[in-house]
Amino acid sequence: MKSITPALASERYRPGGGLRRLLSTYRTEMAIAIAMVIVELAVGMAVPAALSGGNLTNVMQAAAPLVIMSFGVLLVIITGGIDLSVGSVFSLTGMITGLAMAHGFGAIASSVAGLSVGIVIGLANGALVTFVGLAPFVVTLSTYAIAGSLSFIVTNGNSLPISDPNYWLLDSGTLIPGMPNYLLWCLLLLVGIEFSLRKVVAGRWLYAVGSSSSSARVIGIPVNRVRLTAYLLSGLLASFAGIVSVSYVSNAEATAGASLMLQSIAAVVIGGASLFGGTGSAIGALLGALMITIIQNGANLIGVNSFWQGTVTGIVILIAVLLDRITKARR
Amino acid sequence: MGSQPGSQPYLLSARSVVKHFGPTSVLKGFDLSIARGEVHAFLGGNGAGKSTLIKIISGQHERDGGTLEFDGEALGASVGAHRDAGAIAVVNQELALLPHLSVAENIAMPRLRRAARPYRERVAETIAMEALSLIDPRFARESVRRRVGDLTLHERQLVEIARSLGSGAKLLLLDEPTANLTAAETGRLFAVIRRLVADTELAVLFVSHRMREIRQIADVCTVIRDGKTAIDRVRLDCITDSEIIECMGQSIVPDDSAAKPGSPTPRAAARSDVSAAQHGAIVVKHAHISLTVAPGTIVGLAGAPTGPIALIETLTGTAAAHVWDVTCNGVPMIYANCAAAARAGVGFVSGDRANKGMLGTLPIIDNLMAARRIVERRYFARNEELMEGMGLIEALNMRVRSLWDLPSTLSGGTQQKLLVARWLALKPKLLVLEEPTRGVDIRTKREIYALIRKMAAQGTAVIWWSTEYIELAELCDRVLAFDLDGRPASVLHGEEVNEAQLANATGMAA
Repeated sequence: MKSITPALASERYRPGGGLRRLLSTYRTEMAIAIAMVIVELAVGMAVPAALSGGNLTNVMQAAAPLVIMSFGVLLVIITGGIDLSVGSVFSLTGMITGLAMAHGFGAIASSVAGLSVGIVIGLANGALVTFVGLAPFVVTLSTYAIAGSLSFIVTNGNSLPISDPNYWLLDSGTLIPGMPNYLLWCLLLLVGIEFSLRKVVAGRWLYAVGSSSSSARVIGIPVNRVRLTAYLLSGLLASFAGIVSVSYVSNAEATAGASLMLQSIAAVVIGGASLFGGTGSAIGALLGALMITIIQNGANLIGVNSFWQGTVTGIVILIAVLLDRITKARR
Repeated sequence: MGSQPGSQPYLLSARSVVKHFGPTSVLKGFDLSIARGEVHAFLGGNGAGKSTLIKIISGQHERDGGTLEFDGEALGASVGAHRDAGAIAVVNQELALLPHLSVAENIAMPRLRRAARPYRERVAETIAMEALSLIDPRFARESVRRRVGDLTLHERQLVEIARSLGSGAKLLLLDEPTANLTAAETGRLFAVIRRLVADTELAVLFVSHRMREIRQIADVCTVIRDGKTAIDRVRLDCITDSEIIECMGQSIVPDDSAAKPGSPTPRAAARSDVSAAQHGAIVVKHAHISLTVAPGTIVGLAGAPTGPIALIETLTGTAAAHVWDVTCNGVPMIYANCAAAARAGVGFVSGDRANKGMLGTLPIIDNLMAARRIVERRYFARNEELMEGMGLIEALNMRVRSLWDLPSTLSGGTQQKLLVARWLALKPKLLVLEEPTRGVDIRTKREIYALIRKMAAQGTAVIWWSTEYIELAELCDRVLAFDLDGRPASVLHGEEVNEAQLANATGMAA
């Protein structure tokens, strides 16, 4: 386009406005952050121990697997898809890792075996959605069921203790002094994914595909590759969350991920993403996951019957979505 | 025949291109040659295969046979096989925009070809500014950061065109780019095209139904008829409009076929009611402008889009705020929604056929009966609907194979007739039309005119928004003209309704 010389371009137009633009980009995220602080303070008023450093560390550590998994689900939801298989992938990863260790493989080989679950199922999801053209909901519902039942089959339903005595280091070790690894993983992924989504062409392609896949195709964006990558990463991150969790609890359980699928989707939606695609951010997903964990933690501390926790989480999701709708309508 | 560009080979040559959709063959061995540095008009009736060919050239459809050669290289048949080069840019009738992303990003996106490269917002904004300023500098300054989803249809069209102009492509495929543009914007677009063609040897394939535009911008024309080449590369100064129209197969319906069959419609009747609120007449008021729309008259709306849109939204119950005061026999006509308006006797045909007209996943019969089911609160499909549907299809000479086919199997013109036909049997008090003839070939246009005259003859008051002054002049008893800011400016009566007066009243050249 060198030949086009704009006569009137950029005469009154000034690029810039860094801080203001940043604030307007992350409006939703700031609202969730504020809401989260309010919820935590409210819990702290009822049970002062909730605000102790020990409890906050607990919350973060308990939230880490959900945070990691939500990042993966976020990528798929941005493209306008959905991944229901993540909870089962999480469970199966734990079982395979534990099984590999029980058969005498080392920690690294066992972890790789576990991660391969996510890669295989993620690729299967992606291939069936992109190349066969099946609906993401149906495809991942099937793989959810298959992976879920496989995680019972591999040990006949028994839970497996982790045999490697040093495996806890993956979750709670300190590669960087003073910072437990679960926090490090979350931060690395947060920065890496948020940066890729905003500042790398591949990230913009995710939004483009979610905004309108037919338009994206006309524009020349490799829609199939983008979709496949999103499902692959979602599977891989669910697996990674699985081994981090196994490292944390030192025990592999077939039902470990049962509640996580809905929680991760909820986290992404609370974080401002639309299930129709085209919107969402990693910071939002992180905050959404933290919000859910804080509510559960708070309910436990206050002594709310655990049967009510789902009701509370459900109401929070509705409030988040309604607030988002109202602020958008105002603009 | 045709003009050879000396010894230079063509930029694009398509030979014997064949395309089927299921059992229907759309292209039956079509030839097209485009030379560098020319604007090539591509004409043909609805369903003749224009859009299909454009999608084949741009790699959105696979072809079933024939060869395509671009810039000396053969292009593969599969979808997307040749998009990587970025050398062919396309503006389809269905805009290919990303509603969640900003204007800047939409325009810059085709140039971001490598996944691992950084994306810089400011670079994208600069690219977008340059491209948009070519058509409308003010719009460019105000809108680069806006979300495309928040733009009007007309603004989106500008974005789409700017993207193609700024893409640096060697061949530009424009499928009715001016359908949603004002005359001033069309003028600027043409100026840019001329400059690019002169400076960069850009080749442009230009589809439009407006003969005058084609004369203004194009050098050469090719006409497609029924999937085959009817005219191959003829210089436009060597051929007359009527010869072209004849080759398009459009001359079967003579111009006056739609003439008023002794109906009480025409202008004489209209002029007699200027004075007062005639029985059943609808009065619309805004500030100092007041207009009576009597039963059986056709009133046109002309001028900048925001004005007609505000009035139409009020009439059809879709407005957020009412700037217009609408009464019928002194009773206010303000409705909560479209369904309430329809039940009160206001029919509406939206200009956004795909999103606000057709129910794309339902068969033709459901589409035909959609309005009737709302108005009569029918909650179950009935057997007699099939008879009603058959009757409508025969009466309107629509080419429909089965009432159970999806509307997507129909040509654009037939779909448009279907949307108007929804209201035919209901005899609404008022029928509101948004550009019902946009993107429709001349023959179908005449049929739609006839249909609207017929409804007026049944006693329906018609309000018609069109950007084509010729058709307003031909059909309307009166025209409400809006100025460039969308404010109602004046009402033209009877003989005043002609192209010159319309251009004068709206501030837009025809």
